[in-house]
Amino acid sequence: MRRRPLLFWLGTALLAGFVSIAILAPVLAPHDPRQPLALPLSAPTRDHLLGTNDLGQDILSQLIHGTRSTLIVALSVTAISTALSWIVGLAAGFIRRLEGLLMGLTDLLLALPDLPLILLVLTLIGATRINLILVLGLLSWPAFARVVRAIVIGARISPYVEASRSLGASDAHITMRHLLPATLDALPTKLVLTMRYAVFAEATLAFLGLGAGEAIGWGGMLNEAFRDPLLFSRPAWPWLVLPPTIAIAALILATVWVGGGLGGGPTTRRGTTQRGNSGRQMVISRGD
Amino acid sequence: MLRDFLWLCGRYLALALSVVLVNFFLPRLLPGDPLDFSSGDGLDAAVPLTASARAELEAYYHLDDPILSQLWSYLGDLVTGDLGFSISRSAPVGDLILDRLPWTMSLLLVSLLLSAAIGTALGMVAGWRPGKRRDRVLMSASGMLAAIPEFLIAIGLLLGGAVGLAWFPLFGGETVFTDWGGGPSSFVRRAFDIAWHLTLPAATLALAGVAAFALVTRDVTAGLQHEPWLVAARAKGLDERQIAVRHALPNMAPPLVTFFGLRLGGVLSGALVVERVFSIPGLGQLGFQAIGARDYPVLQALFLLSSLGVLLVAFLVELSYPRLDPGRRSDR
Repeated sequence: MRRRPLLFWLGTALLAGFVSIAILAPVLAPHDPRQPLALPLSAPTRDHLLGTNDLGQDILSQLIHGTRSTLIVALSVTAISTALSWIVGLAAGFIRRLEGLLMGLTDLLLALPDLPLILLVLTLIGATRINLILVLGLLSWPAFARVVRAIVIGARISPYVEASRSLGASDAHITMRHLLPATLDALPTKLVLTMRYAVFAEATLAFLGLGAGEAIGWGGMLNEAFRDPLLFSRPAWPWLVLPPTIAIAALILATVWVGGGLGGGPTTRRGTTQRGNSGRQMVISRGD
Repeated sequence: MLRDFLWLCGRYLALALSVVLVNFFLPRLLPGDPLDFSSGDGLDAAVPLTASARAELEAYYHLDDPILSQLWSYLGDLVTGDLGFSISRSAPVGDLILDRLPWTMSLLLVSLLLSAAIGTALGMVAGWRPGKRRDRVLMSASGMLAAIPEFLIAIGLLLGGAVGLAWFPLFGGETVFTDWGGGPSSFVRRAFDIAWHLTLPAATLALAGVAAFALVTRDVTAGLQHEPWLVAARAKGLDERQIAVRHALPNMAPPLVTFFGLRLGGVLSGALVVERVFSIPGLGQLGFQAIGARDYPVLQALFLLSSLGVLLVAFLVELSYPRLDPGRRSDR
C-alpha cells in the first residue's frame, strides 16, 4: 500500500468524527435545538457551552444537529450526482447516437453560472430538503460525465474490448464487464469532490436564505446571525458567528485532505493524470 | 477560417438561445404557480399582491395565451430590453439591475484582474520546479483556499479587517447621509470612500481567485518543463527569469486566457454571496432580497443576464484563441 500523507489521515479522522456526530446527534446534543431555553444572546455557561442565539436556543445543540442535516444533504447529492455522471458518461461513450445530445447538454450545464440558476429554481419550487438535494444532484454531474466518457472512449478501442466483441459479446456485456470497471478508478475522486461541492453549495444557499426547509443547518445559523444589522455590536457575536464558520471550514478542509491523499490532489508531481486534471477542474470552478 | 468563425457563432447562438428557452420554460414547467404563491392565497405569501398588481403581472406574462404566443411575446419583450416587473419593488427589473450593475461589475473586474496577476505569478513560481518543497507548500495552501466557500473567506476578512482591527467599514458600499460638498475634490473624496468600502469584498474574491489561478498556472507551467524550446533556452544559458517571462509566459497564454473566461461564472456567483456579507448594494444584494420576497422576475433576469454575460465572454475568449497561440500565429 502506498504511503499517504499525514493530512489524509487527519481528514479521514475529521470525516469519521463528523459522521459519528451526525449519527449520534440526538444523544450528543445537550438540549432541544429549537427550544428557547435561556436568555437570548448569552455568553457560554456551564449549561450552554457555546452560549445561546437571539431566540435563546442552545448553539451547541444546533451545531450538532446541523452536522446531521449537512451530511444528509451531502451524501444524497453525492449519490445522485455520481449515478448520473456514470450513466451519462457510459451512454455518451458507448452509444454513438446519443453522444451529440448528451455532450451538448453537458456543455450547456458546464457553461452556465450555477448559483443564479439554483437560486431561481429553488425559489420557484420552494427550498425543501428534497428539492435542494434534487437540484444540486441534477446540476453537478456534467464534469465527471466527461471524464467517464473519455475513459470509455479510450477503453472502447482497446484490444481487450475488441477481443471480447470478436468472441460475440453483447454491448451490455461489454459495458458492464469491461467499460464500467475501467472507469472505477475515477470513483473515489468523484465521491470526495461532489461531497465537497454539496457541503459548499448547501452552506452558501442556506446563508442566502435557501436552507434545507425547516432543518437546522450551519449556513442557516450564519444566515440568522447576519440578519441582525447590529450583530457586531453585541458582545455575544463570536458565539453566533464562529462555531458554524469553523464547522463548515473543517468539514470542507477534511474533504480537501482526503482528496489530496487519493492521488488526484494538488500534491501530485505533475498534474497530467486523467484523475488529477478532472479533479482540479472541479475544485477550481468552485462548485462543479 | 470563415467557416470556423461561422461555426463558432452558430454554436454560441445555440447556447444563448437555450439559455433564453430555459428561462422561459422553467417557471412554466416546474410545479407551483408563482402568482398564486405571492398573491396571498397561501399563508406564507411573502408580499400579498393587490388585484391591480396581479393583473399587471398576468398581462406581462400573457398567462392566458397559448404557450407559443407567450413565447413569442416573451422574445419580443426581451429584444426591446423589457425584463419584466419586480413584484416586491414595483419597478421595472431592467432599471433595478442597471442601478446595481456598477457595484458588482467593479468588484468583478478588480478581483479578476488582481487574482489573475497574482495567481499566475504564484502558479509559475510553484510549477517551475515541480515537486519541490515550494511547489508542495504553495499548492496545498491554494488547494485549501480554493475549496473554502467565498462567504466564509468574507466572514474571516470581515472579522479581521473590520471587527478586529477596525480599519475598514463593517457594511455598505459607501458612507451614506454624507454631504460631499461641491467641486471636483468632492468627487475624489467620494471615490476614495467607495474604494475604502469595497476593499474587503474585493480582497475576498481576489483571494478565492488567486488560489484557483495558481492551481491552473502551476499545472500548465509544470507541463512545460520538458518542452524542447525551454530546454534549448536553458542550454543557451539564459537567465531563468528571462526564460519564464519571455518564453514560457506567451506559450501559456491560451490555456490561461481560457481559464480567465471560465472563471467569470464562478467569480460572479462568489460576488453575489460576498455582497450579502458586506451589504454592498449590487446585484447580489438585489438577488438576496428577491429570494426573501419570492420576486421571480428579478431572479429570472439575474439568471438570464449572468448566463448570457458568461457566454459572451467565453465566445470572445474562443475568438481570440488563434491570435494568442504563438505556434499558430507563426503558421500564417
